[in-house]
Amino acid sequence: MASLEYPKVRRATRWFDVRRRRLGMWAYALNRITGIGLVVYLYLHLVILSQLLGGAKSWDTFVSLARSPFFLTLDVVLIAGALIHGLNGLRVALMGFGIGLKVHKAFFVILMCVAVIALFVAALLIYGG
Amino acid sequence: MIEVSLQIFRYKAGQQPHYDTFTVQVADTAYVLDALDVVWAKHDHSLTYRRACHHSACGVCALRIDGVEKLPCVTRIADVWDGHRPLRLEPLRNFPVVSDLVVDVKSFFQRMSASDLEITRDSEPTLPLSVDNLDELDVHVEQEPVEPPENLARFNRFESCIECGICMSACPTVAADDKFLGPAALAAIYYERQKTDDPREVAHLLALADGEHGVWRCHSAYECTEACPQAVDPAGKIMALRRELVANRLKKGWRR
Amino acid sequence: MENPFAQEPKATAGWLWQVITGVALVFLLGLHIIANHFIVKGGLRNFADVLAYLRNPVFLVLEALFLVVVASHAMLGIRAILMDFGLSDRVEKLLSRALTVVGVLTVGYGMWLTWAIAH
Repeated sequence: MASLEYPKVRRATRWFDVRRRRLGMWAYALNRITGIGLVVYLYLHLVILSQLLGGAKSWDTFVSLARSPFFLTLDVVLIAGALIHGLNGLRVALMGFGIGLKVHKAFFVILMCVAVIALFVAALLIYGG
Repeated sequence: MIEVSLQIFRYKAGQQPHYDTFTVQVADTAYVLDALDVVWAKHDHSLTYRRACHHSACGVCALRIDGVEKLPCVTRIADVWDGHRPLRLEPLRNFPVVSDLVVDVKSFFQRMSASDLEITRDSEPTLPLSVDNLDELDVHVEQEPVEPPENLARFNRFESCIECGICMSACPTVAADDKFLGPAALAAIYYERQKTDDPREVAHLLALADGEHGVWRCHSAYECTEACPQAVDPAGKIMALRRELVANRLKKGWRR
Repeated sequence: MENPFAQEPKATAGWLWQVITGVALVFLLGLHIIANHFIVKGGLRNFADVLAYLRNPVFLVLEALFLVVVASHAMLGIRAILMDFGLSDRVEKLLSRALTVVGVLTVGYGMWLTWAIAH
């Protein structure tokens, strides 16, 4: 019988669609996006660190570039990603052990507030030099 | 009486899916399913949808109202309609659409069956009528009469789950992973596990949950628990299974 | 008819490692960021600072551990995403092996880089 089924590629991106979804789905989508971002960063970071092979000259040139406001902002974004992913990840881990199941939404909100505060502090330190 | 507009997903084999809008008059206290009935009765007999008990016991009417999975038989129009924009009705996600609001739920029952739950029929055989002598009625039964199984208790599931498929539609993993058992089946495994102390049965059930596409593909979106009309809390059951699986694994690791 | 949902058991270990490496990362990543960005004046180590840092055996070991843990967590995480797409069993096994190789290569590169800089 002919039926309508959406192609797998389209269905595979459904995790991304948080419209009309509730907090748990937001947490999941956020964790996945920050996870992907952090993996990309990991390899970018290794490429950047390769500059060290060029000795003091090439590395110190990069360091002066890294002090620019644009790069500092990227650092803040990175820390945001790490905080969100890490704190939410801890929550997911605890839930897999049966802890916090009844309050998982409140737990998420509290952790994200902690992330915002920590990010604020980090941003002050980063921009403050 | 109120006048409500319904924007209904339409699909017939070989045609492009589209939406049709109907305006119907129903009682103030009417349920969404009642409005669907009026659309069918007064506007379009080709509208296909499932309905049966009208009181959230059978689970067949499950669909999406404005993108959110619900049972229309217990959802009052007044509770979901803002008064002017048409109410959008669509079939469940993650199942092939057969026609309009009806989806093919075969994969749902295959998953339940894979979770060791007895499904009483593979296809749709007709059971014999309950008369002593069918010949009198000139009725010819094409197959052997069905014998009640020995352990009839295996077929009884006294649990909240009405197998409506709403959780499967809401789950983001079911969307892309055709091998994932899904919240309903995993919650069912949990319930079966609670019913037995036989170590072999327990090991068997936990092994079912421990597959690569068992509890570990859940990402705690909790959409299933949010959407479930019967408060089964499948996500919580999945976490409970995880806890037991992890505890067993750690115990094993320790002994080595 | 073979049921397409029949499962292969024993996937608990993967999740457990994800949790263990994740928790470890909270400390190791925190340490890494603090040691590299919040101790040095100006927040970024110049070449001489980097050498001094890597010559300290305690930090060297911690950074190596960090590298192994972060690569493991990353590979497990990528695998978790890929497993969500219901690929065939054969492809899934292939991807798991490929990710293991990528992980080993990542750690290998990082270790080599550290050695090459310090010498």
